[in-house]
Amino acid sequence: MSTSADAGVQYDVGAALSSGDPAHHAAYDFLMAEAQVLDDHDLEQWLDLLCEDVTYRVPVRVTTARGSACDVLGDASHLDEDRYSLGKRIERLRTEHAWAEDPPSRTRHFVTNVRCFATDSPDLLAVTSYLLLFRSRGDARPPDLISGVRSDVLRAQPAGGYRLLRRVVIMDESVLRSQNLAVFL
Amino acid sequence: MTDHDDIITSVRSGILPAHIYNDADLFAAERESVFAKNWLFLAHESEVPDRGDYVVRQQLGDSFIVSRDESGEIRVMFNMCLHRGMQVCRAEIGNTSHFRCPYHGWTYKNDGALVGVPFFKEAYGGEDELRRSDHSLLPAPAMEIVNGLVFVCLDPDAPPFSSRLGEFRDYLDFYTRPGPDGVEVRGPQRWRLPANWKIGAENFAGDTYHTPHTHLSVSEIGLMSDAKGGKRKGGTMYFAGGGGGATFPLAPGDLPSRLGVIGYTDEMIKRRAETWPVTISALIGKDGQIPSAATIFPNLSFLHLWARVSESQIVPFTTMRLWQPVSEQETEVVSWFVVDKAADEEFKRASYKAYQMCFGPSGMFEQDDMENWSSITRVAGGTMARRLQLNNRMGLRTDDSTIAEPLTNFSGPGAAYGGFGEFNQRRWFDLWCRDLESGPIDTKKTTSYPTSEGDDREHER
Repeated sequence: MSTSADAGVQYDVGAALSSGDPAHHAAYDFLMAEAQVLDDHDLEQWLDLLCEDVTYRVPVRVTTARGSACDVLGDASHLDEDRYSLGKRIERLRTEHAWAEDPPSRTRHFVTNVRCFATDSPDLLAVTSYLLLFRSRGDARPPDLISGVRSDVLRAQPAGGYRLLRRVVIMDESVLRSQNLAVFL
Repeated sequence: MTDHDDIITSVRSGILPAHIYNDADLFAAERESVFAKNWLFLAHESEVPDRGDYVVRQQLGDSFIVSRDESGEIRVMFNMCLHRGMQVCRAEIGNTSHFRCPYHGWTYKNDGALVGVPFFKEAYGGEDELRRSDHSLLPAPAMEIVNGLVFVCLDPDAPPFSSRLGEFRDYLDFYTRPGPDGVEVRGPQRWRLPANWKIGAENFAGDTYHTPHTHLSVSEIGLMSDAKGGKRKGGTMYFAGGGGGATFPLAPGDLPSRLGVIGYTDEMIKRRAETWPVTISALIGKDGQIPSAATIFPNLSFLHLWARVSESQIVPFTTMRLWQPVSEQETEVVSWFVVDKAADEEFKRASYKAYQMCFGPSGMFEQDDMENWSSITRVAGGTMARRLQLNNRMGLRTDDSTIAEPLTNFSGPGAAYGGFGEFNQRRWFDLWCRDLESGPIDTKKTTSYPTSEGDDREHER
């Protein structure tokens, strides 16, 4: 059991659900649909998958000795977003002058090792997944590969389905081998 | 005479042979003649606040441990065991009293002193035969700390950092001395950019001409609505001693009101007014110009801007970054967030958010710079780039006179121009030519100074 508090939302995470659990299926379907939306560059539709009070964080990973308390920096991140800043990023990508993604990257979000956990809040599901992002730009440049683990919280919607309330992505590299982070993880 | 005389002559005339942005021979010369002779930034004191704290930093092929020893002193030590050359520290951040080499177990205190040698008596005959005090981790040949910024120089005979920095010192205070307590830094973020290191360094030194076009999207979405070209044209470019930068024009007002509009609190403004050099206060308060980007030669850059972090809040931020060369076509960018140490947590959080929305690998300004700079580097490596001469002469007539006169009413140190021009890029390249022309240092010189007993440095051949 662990207690988390993000953006005022508190919940306790319980035991892992079986992969046969309907909640697990729902979380899996959400992640698969989200990956396709991202790789189709349908970023407005991606925004619709997020709660109004979403938090989205990619902390800086560091190399530390075994036994050190942690290997992410608590006060530094590559992304630490809310709905406003994510919306601004997408609005920018939609201008004619966002050179970082023009021509657009070809991306593939490979999402695997999905595990789902009940919480003590009936409308919240905790989900972890592994991410391997392939990103190709231009013609013959080596592609970027970003590997990491996502810790998500999904919130059930009154009209059915889920939206993303919280995402933390812990990347597996301390030095990003990518010229920029102009795509979402 | 060097192998690069033709390049130096051309660059000094304001014409850049395009291949200088992707040339392995030139990069080898830069390593010996630029990076081995200049003062290089490694870390900020606030990254190692407590005794035993350390970070490990690279500059080109060299790895340095920056630690705070048991007496509270900052130490910079070459991360290589004196026995068989293993890196004694392989983490990048942590806290330890000792560094123990994983290979054979030689153990050093966090001030570099060798204290442990396995089987010391049996293997080496003890202290009579191997003086441990002669085997401390190699210190940086020269080190200076300014405003908490730790600089090293690999040339023990280099002029002191303060003389190299010269009049740029006031601008350094603008970025890193906003009050008596100074700044703290967060991060760094590190990422590998497939671009030559010079491009970022000279861009931050004063390329105001790229802002209206490269960063048009940022003003279109209202992140920093003032970034439009018309505004930029009202700014200035200055070069002072070892560095240069640009300023951004502010709306009418005085020092407090102008800093207030971009999001500083009254208390932070008061601290700045009491701490900054008078030149900086006058530059902002009287001239209505606030420093934006700047570079200290060769590869340390600074930036101060402000951004809208929510519909209702504009917040200023400061960042500092190294363009750390990996090869002629790859650079590791190391980017820190810099903030007034005495600011409250709420300001620090909001200011970090503003920084991250604008700079760093995900920053909406910086993303587009990276796309441009990697593209330049890629095409600079071919045969055609050996024939192409790039124009670095903006602001000059064909007879080398300047289109505009230097500003006479500029309150900051150094020579300044208004409008657009490549004055700063040419000054930056003058320093680059100076170093390439004078050639490599004698690396046979070694340095040592006693650890645990103060800072007396000795040079020995």
